[in-house]
Amino acid sequence: MKLPRAATRRRVILTTTIALLSTLVLSTTAPVSSALADQTYEPIQGRGSTWSSGAIDQWRGAVANQMSVNYTADGSSDGRANFITKIVDFAVSEIPFQTNPTDGSTPEQPGTDFAYMPIVAGGTSFMYNLKIGGKRVTNLRLSGETIAKIFTGKITKWNDPQIAGDNPGLAMPDKTITPVVRSDGSGSSAQFSLWMVNQYPQIWNDFCNSGVGCAAGSMTSQYPVFPGAKGQAKSDGVAGYVAQDYGEGAITYVEYSYPLKAKFPVAKVLNSSGYYIEPTASSVAVGMLGAAIKDDLTQDLGGVYNNSDPRAYPLSSYSYLIVPTSAPRGVFTEGHGRTLAAFAKYSLCEGQQQVGLLGYSPLPMNLVQAGFSQIRRIPGGGQLDLDINSCNNPTFKPGDSLESNQLAITAPQPAACDKKGPDQCTTGTAGAPDETPISGSGNGGGSSDAGVNAGKAGAGTAATTAAGGSSSLATDAVYDENGQLVSAAAGGGTAVSAPFTLASESFGISQGLMLAAVALLLLGVFLPPFLSRKLRRSSSSPR
Amino acid sequence: MSAVTFTPRADVRSTPPASGPRRIAPRAHIADRIFQSVAVSAGAVTVSIMLAVGLFLSLRAKDALVVAGPSFLFEQAWSPETGVFGIAAVLFGTVSIALVAMSVSVPLALGTSLLISEVLRGRLQRTLISIVDLMAAVPSVVFGLWGVFFLQAGIIPVSQWISTYFGWIPIFAVTGADGARLTEASAVTSSAFIAGLVVALMVVPTQTSVMREAFSQAPVGEREGALALGSTRFGMIRAVVLPFGRGGIIGGTMLGLGRALGETIAVYMIISPIFTINWEVLKTGSNSVSALIALRYGESSDFGLSALMAAGLVLFLVTLVINFTASSIVARSRSGASS
Repeated sequence: MKLPRAATRRRVILTTTIALLSTLVLSTTAPVSSALADQTYEPIQGRGSTWSSGAIDQWRGAVANQMSVNYTADGSSDGRANFITKIVDFAVSEIPFQTNPTDGSTPEQPGTDFAYMPIVAGGTSFMYNLKIGGKRVTNLRLSGETIAKIFTGKITKWNDPQIAGDNPGLAMPDKTITPVVRSDGSGSSAQFSLWMVNQYPQIWNDFCNSGVGCAAGSMTSQYPVFPGAKGQAKSDGVAGYVAQDYGEGAITYVEYSYPLKAKFPVAKVLNSSGYYIEPTASSVAVGMLGAAIKDDLTQDLGGVYNNSDPRAYPLSSYSYLIVPTSAPRGVFTEGHGRTLAAFAKYSLCEGQQQVGLLGYSPLPMNLVQAGFSQIRRIPGGGQLDLDINSCNNPTFKPGDSLESNQLAITAPQPAACDKKGPDQCTTGTAGAPDETPISGSGNGGGSSDAGVNAGKAGAGTAATTAAGGSSSLATDAVYDENGQLVSAAAGGGTAVSAPFTLASESFGISQGLMLAAVALLLLGVFLPPFLSRKLRRSSSSPR
Repeated sequence: MSAVTFTPRADVRSTPPASGPRRIAPRAHIADRIFQSVAVSAGAVTVSIMLAVGLFLSLRAKDALVVAGPSFLFEQAWSPETGVFGIAAVLFGTVSIALVAMSVSVPLALGTSLLISEVLRGRLQRTLISIVDLMAAVPSVVFGLWGVFFLQAGIIPVSQWISTYFGWIPIFAVTGADGARLTEASAVTSSAFIAGLVVALMVVPTQTSVMREAFSQAPVGEREGALALGSTRFGMIRAVVLPFGRGGIIGGTMLGLGRALGETIAVYMIISPIFTINWEVLKTGSNSVSALIALRYGESSDFGLSALMAAGLVLFLVTLVINFTASSIVARSRSGASS
């Protein structure tokens, strides 16, 4: 009697599991199917930014059972060029069309029948690969000026006093910095160079005037591959290079989602209130409160760079969907417009639920509202039901005022150890939540950044003071390529280990033996045939 | 000519002429005429497509070439926006990558093809042939990914070793701007050497199959003659197979060189593009015409595109010259003349 009972129980468990699973599947797909009416949509094509492609790919996947949206991520410049030649339905770009470029490039002429629609916010982050004593650094901090100097070739070593000054808790190694830049035309390059032009014009102009291939005083989509730098194509390429083992010492500028995906850290960037901030969804949301939105919805980021909120990330920006406003236009028709409008609506509303996890920041209400007005301009998008209250966007609740952003309201204040000073948080960043032990002279502390890893990152092992303790000592200490202390200033009262040096690899016994072994091997291979031939000849010659 | 023979029907006239031999007006069979016209038109279409490509490139390149003038061949920088652009550095990179590829792939292909045609027999031989052919079917983007994410990490120590012990040969040195030797891993990544290695592996199957085909045609009588005179297998290969297959070796090498010069995606993924002539093949930074086109064509203005077309035209002409030279050498060799 025992066996059948066990069997039925198993069956019951099985059926309940199936039922649970099916309800789960139904409940997750339900919002999508209700948002997009059950009609057939014509497939559409788009090209452009790799910066925001993580979010776009997520949305495409989510609506794949309703409509087919094809997207090729090959850079903002390429997206805009293809939109001008009308061979795509939409483009995605970080920067608007360059109708009056100041860097000497040919003006882009997109015509007038298009509109910009912000789709997602994010932070241009600085992903790096650095080890101290064989252990990955996850809590690097950099000021804007340091970053500008690294990417213009002025700072070439990780132990540069300026980097060491930003990182009192780290014993920076004597290692060459490899700045990895985009070799293709890129919106990330444009946003990054725009920030430098705006914030550090002197550094940028000196860089361009040295003849590397950019114009002083203007941003560029084609970042110069200056001596010492490495050029790689697309966001995947630069992030992939940094993430390799041989990428140790490399740093690149790329959207926050890429280091998150690659399980690598990003540098915390100093904002104008003196805090080093990681580009999490909330710090980008706070940063973007400083953006001035122009009439055509393009952004003026001057207020973001200097946002005085201590929680703001200075290199925050929006990415744009460029949509046609007349049909037919090249491949674009009204039927495509219906798909595009529905896709745009999904991305502005439900789509924004997921972007925080991916490493982006959801759009606030005023931009969703403005985006809706752009969707209405898309031919074929007029019939779409656009109600801000049923939008299901995480930054606002139904009935909120236009300017409020739930994410910015709930964004936590930065931890005290993130403030510029002798303390440095040990908590990891982005895709690398592990703590970094203190190797320099500063104090540690746990960061309260409500990042993606906030749950995982516990309180740091605070205040394990390193030897010495005073920061004046740190500037005098010398570390080698692997972050081992070579010498410290005398009088600190600290014991400094003498580095263990191996005998230099001159030609010794072991090398001689190796050479002899190689010679023997070669002899063993080549001698027998020669000898045998000789022997045969000598033995046959008398006859 | 033995298999396909024309069988002209003699159209004998009813009234024989007064003097001389009777006149025959050969009239080809309908099937022959169809075959002939199809063959001729296929050949004509192929040639005219190639001419059209050249014509198209020249027409589109005209704008850029007029602006740049002869400096197009000697200028290293590439900035069509400011009117300063030339192909010197890019072409140098293309050639250096192709030469690295050839110096690796030719010995590999020669050895493999001799192994297949002379040493292996039966099932093993057939298996190896299909494995090598399979290598040719791997898409170049896969080779590129493999090169970036796997091979590069493994090649770094090799590059460092070569630059350490053979750095006294200028092309193997890895030096910084101040002439000091660079030892870091980042100094030898994304180099012409690594790109050349990946391209070498991509052209090995092509070269192997051309060479194998030539070697297997070496006359059995001469092979047996050499063996009967007492030569070893190596002696026979040296005296009969290699001289006979000279056309195949050159032809295969040139075919591979043509592909190596034009290889795009794998090179594009590996190199860090620079616009200066870099003699040090192990050092980071190189460029190639096709990678430059792939990198820039999508986002170029009309004039920028014209400059890219001009670069493409130069590559087209270089490849054409190489292939013509190769085919004239092949035609003069024994295996080439017979085939």
